[in-house]
Amino acid sequence: MSFDFVEPVVFAVLAFGVIGAGAAVVLLDRITASALLMALTFLCMAGMFVLLGAETIAAFQVLIYVGAITVLILFGVQFTKQGGDRSYALFFQKQYPLAAALVAAVAIPVALFAFSFTAPAPPPGGGDIRPLATSVFTDYAFAFEVASVLLLAAMVGAIVLTTRDERAEAARRRK
Amino acid sequence: MIALVWLIPAFPLAAFLIAGLFGRRWLGHWTGVIASAAVGLSALLSIGVFLEVLGGKEQTVVPLYRWIGVGDFSVNVAALIDPLSAVMLLVVTVVSFLIFVYSNGYMADDEGFYRFFAWLSLFVFAMLILVMADNYLLMFVGWEGVGLCSYLLIGFWFERPEPYLAAKKAFVMNRIGDWGYTIGIITIFLVFNSMNFLDVFHRLDQSAPAQNVMTIICLALFFGATGKSAQLPLYSWLPDAMEGPTPVSALIHAATMVTSGVYLVARSMPLFVAAGSSLEVVGVVGAITAIFAATIALVQFDIKRVMAYSTVSQLGYMFLALGVGAPVAAIFHLATHAFFKALLFLGSGSVIHGLGGEQDMRKMGGLRRRMPVTFWTMLVAGGALAALPPLAGFWSKDEVVTAAFVNGHAVLYAIGIITALLTAFYVTRALWMTFYGEPRDQHLFDHAHESPTVMTLPLILLGVGTVALGIAIGFPPEQGFIHRFLGPVVEAAGVVEHAPELATILLLAAVSVAAGVVGIAIGVLMYVRHRPDPAAVARAAGPLYRLLVNKYYIDELYDHRIVEAARAIAGASWAFDIHIIDGLANRLGWALAMGGQGLRRLQTGIVGNYALTIMAGLLLMLVAYGGYAAGIFGR
Amino acid sequence: MTVPLGAYIAVSAGLFFIGCAGVLVRRNAVVILMCVELMLNAANLALVAFSRRFGAVDQRGSVFVIFVFVIAAAEVAVGLAIVLSAYRNRPVIDVDEIHQMKG
Repeated sequence: MSFDFVEPVVFAVLAFGVIGAGAAVVLLDRITASALLMALTFLCMAGMFVLLGAETIAAFQVLIYVGAITVLILFGVQFTKQGGDRSYALFFQKQYPLAAALVAAVAIPVALFAFSFTAPAPPPGGGDIRPLATSVFTDYAFAFEVASVLLLAAMVGAIVLTTRDERAEAARRRK
Repeated sequence: MIALVWLIPAFPLAAFLIAGLFGRRWLGHWTGVIASAAVGLSALLSIGVFLEVLGGKEQTVVPLYRWIGVGDFSVNVAALIDPLSAVMLLVVTVVSFLIFVYSNGYMADDEGFYRFFAWLSLFVFAMLILVMADNYLLMFVGWEGVGLCSYLLIGFWFERPEPYLAAKKAFVMNRIGDWGYTIGIITIFLVFNSMNFLDVFHRLDQSAPAQNVMTIICLALFFGATGKSAQLPLYSWLPDAMEGPTPVSALIHAATMVTSGVYLVARSMPLFVAAGSSLEVVGVVGAITAIFAATIALVQFDIKRVMAYSTVSQLGYMFLALGVGAPVAAIFHLATHAFFKALLFLGSGSVIHGLGGEQDMRKMGGLRRRMPVTFWTMLVAGGALAALPPLAGFWSKDEVVTAAFVNGHAVLYAIGIITALLTAFYVTRALWMTFYGEPRDQHLFDHAHESPTVMTLPLILLGVGTVALGIAIGFPPEQGFIHRFLGPVVEAAGVVEHAPELATILLLAAVSVAAGVVGIAIGVLMYVRHRPDPAAVARAAGPLYRLLVNKYYIDELYDHRIVEAARAIAGASWAFDIHIIDGLANRLGWALAMGGQGLRRLQTGIVGNYALTIMAGLLLMLVAYGGYAAGIFGR
Repeated sequence: MTVPLGAYIAVSAGLFFIGCAGVLVRRNAVVILMCVELMLNAANLALVAFSRRFGAVDQRGSVFVIFVFVIAAAEVAVGLAIVLSAYRNRPVIDVDEIHQMKG
């Protein structure tokens, strides 16, 4: 019994997960649910990476996206809760028809066009960690360093933006 | 002395600057003295120049500086000193000097004393430039300058509406004439490639252009002259110009500015002679104007108006002389007229001054006892105007009509004689109403007084000139000093002077004198003996009388036809400007503003809308790129 | 039977445009950030797919994906910081309400 059917089936499941969860993120009312479903999208995405043979990338995906970013988003959701479970109007009433039309107009042709891509048979096996590491630390070492500086800058920026000036607020409260 | 000729206009210019800049605050009545002294110096220099020209320097060009030099077109500021300009210089400066002295007394109580002398000095400067210029363009500068000063001085008492309306009328009519002048000089340049008198006349000699071109030039120049010299059809500003102070009327509107038209035609005689028929036009217009104005002067009651119409009429005589080919007679009459008309005006001014401002002759009478000097000088001037021998007016006017007869223009001669009769009549009437008979307004009469010496001395001097000038320069007729003096200029112009026989001269002289005497006799009969009574005549003539008193309704005609038409055009232009041109600009602005308002709606402030716009832009780019790549939009 | 490349690209395109629609129509600022993450993920997928299927030795696409991870993380951090500090100013999270730049 050949297991040739496995790959397409797994792909189909993962694809359904990605698209479905993504649609749910956009369409759901409750933001917490949206956030968690976003995490699901990220997981299915990681699975796709594995299917493609990029395990390292898949690992990074899970670590960074599902781990850090999802938590960050959940924190954000918590901090900006608007007391109670007030339901928000879901869509921009002003923009909803126009935006839908626009996106559909672009999406459908692009998606159809996307199917036209073909590639030669994939090379057998082989992980991606060796080529990846080699590239990152030799050809793209400079970009790598710059990326770390960028992270530093983002970190500092985030701290600066969210710092409370305790003394100023105390003075304001005393007035 | 001729080398210093540019000092002659320089003195009045300096006087203008001094009076204008320092007159109000610091110099007060000294401006009059300074201005009179300046013109006096100019007069002395003019006498010197005259003597030098007499001594043999017949044609000198004294350049000052190079004014315009653009390619082919070159015009210099230079003076042409020949007998004609020497005579004009002399007349202008001497008469101006006497009038300046007179004005010191006449304008003594006026607040604008310094302003008066500033403008008057500027006027003399411009007039001298006009007379001295050696090309048409520089002459035009002087031409315009005198027009400007005329405007300023007519409207001198601008607090009242009549003076400034009269000033405006004078200026506009002058401008209409100037249009003709400009056409003339432009055509001259196009044809002869120069505006210099000597160059033009020289080139005319070498190759005369077509007859119609010459006619255009001459008629255009003459049209300009009619504006300046108050001939038909541009004469009606001169009577209105009497709103100005009397010295102004004497200087500008009798002796100098109005003679610039005559000077222009005299100077351009070579052109006129070459154009043939235009000279006839000049003569006819002059003659018609002479008799036309004389008829109006018969019935005017304002003493200055009578003199104004008389000036128009006498200028007509000068143009008549030019038209029949006797430029010397024209200049001779110009000179004598300057003296006796200035005297008549200054005398009228003395009367008005003595009566505290009254100008209506119906309120005068019997003034000869109160103002003897004025009376006697005016009597002399009036006699000159009526052309009684041996006064100056007789010699010059007689030459004019003789020339008309001798050169074969019988009709023009007849018109001249009839006008002489009318002239004698109206001057008798004016003098009698002012100085003789019983005073019609006792109150005015009681307060009447003779004018101060500063005013009567010029009167006396002018009187002397009126008596002596004619004999001095015009005797014997056709061979007098002035003929010999201006001879070279006349020959150069190609004018043939017919020398009539002695018998003809005597006969024509007798006819002239007879016309004058008859006119005076009728005047005396009507006004002294009341046979027939003037009022009765006026009633009997009815409509004709009304026509004359209303000056043939010319002013109303002009106003109705021309001024209204001009106003309509101006109104239409204004409407066009406001509605269409301004409207265009306003609509454009409004459209841009509306466009801005419309585009402003894109800035909703809602970030989502901005994101949508970005998406739309992205769509556009994808479509464009895809189309290009797929070959739909062309490679 | 391998999954054709086109399928992966189609999924990537679909997810990208779903995220795009979300950015345009959702009103909650945090949800908008989530949709942006979806779009970044879709881009990552496309990059990896192309890289793995076409390149044998050289995995440049995957290297780029690493940098996209870094950028995405930084962006979420700073974005949330902005949202939170704006929220502190005025406690609204509806981007429709932030229209002071109108006009």
